[in-house]
Amino acid sequence: MKRNPLAGPAPARLLRSAAVLALLGATPALADDAELLAKACGDCHTTAADGTLSRISGQRKTPEAWLMTIVRMRMSHGADIDRQTEAALVRYLADTQGLAPSEAEPYRYALEKDPNMVEAIDEPLGTMCARCHTGARALLQHRTPEEWRTLIDFHVGQFPTIEYQALGRDREWYKIASTEIAELLATTQPRDTEAWSQWQAADKPGVAGDWIVLTTLPGAGQAYGRLTVSGDASPYAVSGDLTLADGSTQAVSGQMNLYTGYEWRATLDIGGQSYRQVLALDGAGGLSGRQFLTAQDSLGGHLSGVRADAGAHVLGTVPEAVAGLSGTVQVVGAGLEGLTVEGAAADGLAANAAGASVSLSAEAQGRAVLSAGDSSVGVALYTAPDRLTVEPEFTIARVGGGSDVGPAAVPALFSAVGWLNGPDGAAGTGDDIRIGSLSAEWTTTDANETAAMMQDAAYAGTLDQSGLFMPAVAGPNAERPFSTNNAGDLTITAKAGGLEASGRLIVTVQRFIDPPLR
Amino acid sequence: MKPLNQKADRVLKAAAVDKMDEVRAMQTVTAGCATTFDPGWEVDPFGSVAALCQPMEADLYGCSDPCWWPAQVPDTMVTQPDWDANANSAARDWRALGTVFPGDSNT
Repeated sequence: MKRNPLAGPAPARLLRSAAVLALLGATPALADDAELLAKACGDCHTTAADGTLSRISGQRKTPEAWLMTIVRMRMSHGADIDRQTEAALVRYLADTQGLAPSEAEPYRYALEKDPNMVEAIDEPLGTMCARCHTGARALLQHRTPEEWRTLIDFHVGQFPTIEYQALGRDREWYKIASTEIAELLATTQPRDTEAWSQWQAADKPGVAGDWIVLTTLPGAGQAYGRLTVSGDASPYAVSGDLTLADGSTQAVSGQMNLYTGYEWRATLDIGGQSYRQVLALDGAGGLSGRQFLTAQDSLGGHLSGVRADAGAHVLGTVPEAVAGLSGTVQVVGAGLEGLTVEGAAADGLAANAAGASVSLSAEAQGRAVLSAGDSSVGVALYTAPDRLTVEPEFTIARVGGGSDVGPAAVPALFSAVGWLNGPDGAAGTGDDIRIGSLSAEWTTTDANETAAMMQDAAYAGTLDQSGLFMPAVAGPNAERPFSTNNAGDLTITAKAGGLEASGRLIVTVQRFIDPPLR
Repeated sequence: MKPLNQKADRVLKAAAVDKMDEVRAMQTVTAGCATTFDPGWEVDPFGSVAALCQPMEADLYGCSDPCWWPAQVPDTMVTQPDWDANANSAARDWRALGTVFPGDSNT
């Protein structure tokens, strides 16, 4: 079913005009966007006397959540919204009915698609919301009491068996959901908040200009460089290059949309591969979030950045640590001419486009602290790690592929992280010194007796010597008992420098619905 | 009272050694996984994969059609009525089961 947004009944058109007139006091761009929203959505959503649209006006949420709503309107309700209009509506709604930075901050892992995050959602929302999707998906929304109540009824209408599933059928689910839960969310996640009012009135941080960034690229390790953002509105152009630990460089180019004055979403080509960046400006010249492969979002890394003109600020070093008690590191940051070093001798400080290089040396293993302005980072100087850990300690991968239309496999990337015991000489205490990622020998074994019986390690996938686990193909496997899938429960072991550590990996089945917020 | 399944048996054993605090109604998996233990989509009630439907395609439609894992697998009852249109048998035709969120819609 297709609907022509211009063919609504006369009263709807009149009310749309009222909505637009009401916004004429706003900037011309906002008035245009309001008209676009009225045209695209006004045939189904009724217009109130103040010009606002039903359902829509009672909510605030992230760009991803607004996108998911519009996609659902297209897919389930035949809304005739092209991609250009969709993008404009997401921008308008996120700008005018988004979240304040402090409201999004606790749940950014969901926006960033962090593959290793294990949520801890308190009851009653743990069993009400987070048994099917992230708790963050609910908690990244703010709504009026009526809208929270309507959202409960939406779930019952859209997924009628919700009352018959475990944790539905064994209690008065609907009564609890429509009263206790709706009231709780209306209290903790109200549409109107002081934080949002203040953010709307605040001067927003500028985004155009040069940024110094530090990240890791899957398979290539640490990368740092300078990115230039140009333009005066979304989509901004982003260009620059990243330097790897071996000194080679990868060109960066692409586009970035800035939503709600601080939500940075970029699609970039980095060295011939497509990456997404989900970052946030912190309002003090900083930038942080996660960068990941567009086609395999489980592979990526944390990204931190600072405006080149923000004043003295240090982000980190490449390499992460100094092996052998002396060596030169690239200190990544801005305004590092006055960098100070404690805990090691420093020599030959030389500023460059991404910060400065400096030679560090020490008599014994320990930690140097590099400081600039109000920021500081620690750098281990070491000869041999005291212990090893595997990061992540627990995660999942998914079988995939073997199909033109089905989900691709979801790999998992592990790191062997070295540690020094620190001044107290005891492992696992607060003064331990993180060395960083070390090269290791990687193996998979069956995690338990049942996994061994099913030979999970032989079927679930392969782990290469960079710590990358690539799951096996999807579908029933006739070689396995019951023709079961190539799922498995594995222990992942890293060996380095005579030390050993393990993590656990569940290799599970595909996810067929994979929206921006899971 | 006699336990009817392994899960109930484990709960009784936990109660006998005063470890009911460790009995959890939900498995802790990475964010976004379905933990509803009928079983869950990603993991079984014991936090592993051995007690999932094996293979999941053998019994997929019986569960997914009526929205059993509504955030992971399309339901054909309400939301995606044509998802399985080219796959009469999930076990045989699983290669025709696609992802449903449009790849060209992004922020």
